[in-house]
Amino acid sequence: MGKAAGELLELSLAQAARLVKTREISPVDLVGVSLDRIRAVNGRLSAYISVFEDEARKVAKAAETMIMAGHDLGPLHGIPIALKDNLAVKGFRTTAGSKVLENWIPDHDATVTERLRRAGSIFLGKLNMHEFAWGGTSDNPHYGAVRNPWDTERFPAGSSGGSGVAVAARTCYGAIGTDTGGSIRLPSAINGVVGIRPTYGRVSNHGIIPLAWSMDTAGPMTRTVEDCAIMFNAIAGHDPKDVTTSRAITTDYTEPLQRGVKGLRIGVVPGYFFHHLQPPVRDAVKGGLKTLEGLGAEVVDVNIENIHGNISAQLTIEAAEPSTYHQRWLREQPDNYGADVRSLLEIGEMLLATHYLQAQRYRTLLRQEFLEAFKRVDVFICPTLPFTATKVGAMKVVIENGVEEDMLSAIMQFTGVPSLTGLPSLNVPCGFDHDGLPVGMQIIGPPFDEALLFRIGAAFQSATDFHTRAPTL
Amino acid sequence: MASRKEVTPAAIGVLAGYAELPLAPGREAVIIGTLEAWIKDANELSRKMSAEKYRDLIPATVFSHPIDPEEDR
Repeated sequence: MGKAAGELLELSLAQAARLVKTREISPVDLVGVSLDRIRAVNGRLSAYISVFEDEARKVAKAAETMIMAGHDLGPLHGIPIALKDNLAVKGFRTTAGSKVLENWIPDHDATVTERLRRAGSIFLGKLNMHEFAWGGTSDNPHYGAVRNPWDTERFPAGSSGGSGVAVAARTCYGAIGTDTGGSIRLPSAINGVVGIRPTYGRVSNHGIIPLAWSMDTAGPMTRTVEDCAIMFNAIAGHDPKDVTTSRAITTDYTEPLQRGVKGLRIGVVPGYFFHHLQPPVRDAVKGGLKTLEGLGAEVVDVNIENIHGNISAQLTIEAAEPSTYHQRWLREQPDNYGADVRSLLEIGEMLLATHYLQAQRYRTLLRQEFLEAFKRVDVFICPTLPFTATKVGAMKVVIENGVEEDMLSAIMQFTGVPSLTGLPSLNVPCGFDHDGLPVGMQIIGPPFDEALLFRIGAAFQSATDFHTRAPTL
Repeated sequence: MASRKEVTPAAIGVLAGYAELPLAPGREAVIIGTLEAWIKDANELSRKMSAEKYRDLIPATVFSHPIDPEEDR
């Protein structure tokens, strides 16, 4: 091995892929340093529920043999990644962070798992999460509270908390998360990494334990936008096993990364996007907009008349759909659920059908308004969430004026809009607060134009260094 | 419109009964605060969406049809 372990861990996925391709490093080395790193830090972070040590080493050796024989599967060949524990992996325990499924061993791969496997990725293990993805803290009562690598007393957000932490802590080169109400974007922002919630229907949900069928998505979480685009290339596209996936054409999502943002119009919604925020979050995201203006984009105010009300719609749908999926288990084994998830599932049984359907009609209204607005702007940019990482275990959060607010409602202030409208949304790190905790901004685009989000995110990262900073553990 | 009724532990018991959801003792007290807040907000959204100008809106959860029906055969 030509490089020290520390150097290997600091490589981006794209950099590692180029070195694997040219045989300057081996997948065996990448897996070895990643497993060592997991062993060194996972006791403090609780990011992994399972680690596939023997399997990962075996697959790495096979990947090395293929490369040496001239068989290159592409940019994910020999790259160690990790999967949120609600994605099925054939023959390996998949718990969804729950006690209910603590012994479930799937006999099939999720489509995302299968596509990443076919692209040559090596699975290091399964990542901790909020139980059944129903919550935003990843404070898991069964597998330990996931902790933020920037300050282990702080939470990592969720529900894909393990995925965000695993990437930020340099234990893997990329991870897969799932996002219903913000569960990829929130831990991406809070841990200082990149993460995309795809357009609803762009990535298959087959083989993923559902939370809310009408809003569930899966997507990559990485250190850079380029890495995210590489992983997205492997997983995007129609899947006959998932009737909600679209036949809309996919593209090479790495192709537009160098095109810049000159002439693009960025929408902001006055009175909502920069209202009710912790000041360092406001400053960092406004700074991000200034950077993009400096690169040639134009920022435009756009009024979205019906944006207020989105949190209630989101909570109503997120309450009703999981309670439907869990209906039998909640009656047969209520004590196997953690306290918060049990309460949310019980509450979801008590909302009315009319509440649910009015929320679904509101989605139609909000989506129509955003689609109309995309005639005037190319994307919208807002904070991903209104605050930086709170203490582990906190159920309340203070955003301004010392007022305590319910965590679940507060955390969805901005992520609910893409979830309800089905629009794609990319989190990009855009700064740090006074305690050195990361801040993220959310780029929201038109349906199926993830390429535009990657293009803007890449331009932003070419002009900033927030994504290159690493937590000290 | 009649004034809103408060959610009470007894009302939660009735709702759980309608859903055939056996609640363990004390569960009503655990969930009442969140349930009351969510129902209040959901009712507000329902009032908004009942406005005449939104009468033609259909819920997002309906079957959609492909442009070419042959594609999905």
